[in-house]
Amino acid sequence: MTSTSERAEAFVSNRLPDDYFGASVVGPRHRAEGKPNEDSWLGARGAFGTLVVVSDGMGSRREARRGAQLACRAVLDAVRSWHKAGARDLDELLVRIEPVWCSLIAPSTARDCAATCLFALAHAHGQVHVAAIGDGLALLRTRRGLEWIVGPRSGGFANETAALGHSASWTSRSFPRAGGEVVVLATDGVADDLLPERIDGFVQWLMDDFAGMAPSQRWRALQRELRDWPTPHHTDDKTLVVLTQREAVLA
Amino acid sequence: MGWAKYLEDIVSRRNATSRVQAEIKQVAERRAPSKAAPKKTGDKAMSKLKEFTASSARPLPVLLLADVSGSMSTNGKIDALNDAVQEMLESFGGEDDSRAEIHVSVVTFGKDGAKVHQPLAPAAKVQWTRMTAAGGTPMGAAFDAATGMIEDRAQIPSRAYRPTIILVSDGQPTDEWQVPLKRLLGAERASKAARFAMGIGDDADEAMLSAFLATPEARVYRAHEARQIKQFFRWVTMSVTQRSRSANPDSVIAAEPTDLDDFNF
Repeated sequence: MTSTSERAEAFVSNRLPDDYFGASVVGPRHRAEGKPNEDSWLGARGAFGTLVVVSDGMGSRREARRGAQLACRAVLDAVRSWHKAGARDLDELLVRIEPVWCSLIAPSTARDCAATCLFALAHAHGQVHVAAIGDGLALLRTRRGLEWIVGPRSGGFANETAALGHSASWTSRSFPRAGGEVVVLATDGVADDLLPERIDGFVQWLMDDFAGMAPSQRWRALQRELRDWPTPHHTDDKTLVVLTQREAVLA
Repeated sequence: MGWAKYLEDIVSRRNATSRVQAEIKQVAERRAPSKAAPKKTGDKAMSKLKEFTASSARPLPVLLLADVSGSMSTNGKIDALNDAVQEMLESFGGEDDSRAEIHVSVVTFGKDGAKVHQPLAPAAKVQWTRMTAAGGTPMGAAFDAATGMIEDRAQIPSRAYRPTIILVSDGQPTDEWQVPLKRLLGAERASKAARFAMGIGDDADEAMLSAFLATPEARVYRAHEARQIKQFFRWVTMSVTQRSRSANPDSVIAAEPTDLDDFNF
């Protein structure tokens, strides 16, 4: 027979939603040019579970900012329809995203709106899906350790990336949800300056110093960190999003 | 009695509910202790972010492949090359409006084969040692050295901007160069480098230098006098510094002079 305390533990566990937080700031280059932030991010909860998306509009493109914003919305729309349709496998979701994005950006072209797209979905059916087109950072921390889905750059140089609408293929992974997972997503403005060998400490710092804060305070604190980015001569817009999952407890 | 039982039931229900509520509150507080007492963070002086991020700007590597064969010792060519490289290093080192840190390496090819005369380092920190000219023109070995350096992520990290390779020669290669050049042009990273080439004197192999550039719109610059060597390097310096100051240092800005003499420095 379970004790009152165990029942309370289960009660809380089953009602605490997955948490997410993030922030995005315009980089020094765009600020100097009087341009807006071309990164975008979104967090949403629903019957499908919890979703976070980050997108980086490709700087040289005319409607990069709009492309990034609509990439986030396209993932949310695709996740909703995929979940309603039974959410059989991740590939089925991934093939929905690009057509939705193309319809949202119309009449603009994919070339003008090119944007990266990284998302993490803590699905209501008990899996964590992480997928990405383009550069940046997507990593999952479980009790077993860190799992890189995107980054650090395996080849090439800074500012080289794939994007939505350019026949790029998705990099994706699905994990069974064991509880306590942390997913970190970031655009290349953050990812390229992080030291890969210190990434574990970076995730722990986010959890220790930010995860427990009240949302508005947390957003301000994270914005401040991104704005005061310590790498000299950094230029890019910066976006960082964290999805944390509650521990699974059996009642 | 029914009435007493009813009251007892109410009391016991209330007690049970209160107890459960208290337990829930305790568990919730344990789960999110900092919500009750949020940690102070975001204080610039206290930020730990520095521990997890690169402490230097993104490098913009410039790699010079310099011919130091015996023929370069004639007509003051090697002296002009040394002066031009020194001037270039001073210009790069003095750049303080840069979005990238310009790193320079010099690979020479001559009597001792291809060797790294100046390892890749920030231009501002380079103590220039003048090159001396003797021996043949083992350019193929220099191509392999360049490919090795650019493909090595420990030397040129992936956060670096696209490198620039400058090839300067006054003669024909004396070793097998076609396969090493093919390796350079086919390598994952080295193939993406911006390339400049200068032929010094009439003996320079223009066809080979064009093959190195590998793009129809790029052209080989010819220098017939020592001052033109300096002019070429001033032009390359300007192209690289413009890149390092530009919004996107990966875009190669090269104001194409039709003739180096027409280009007013």
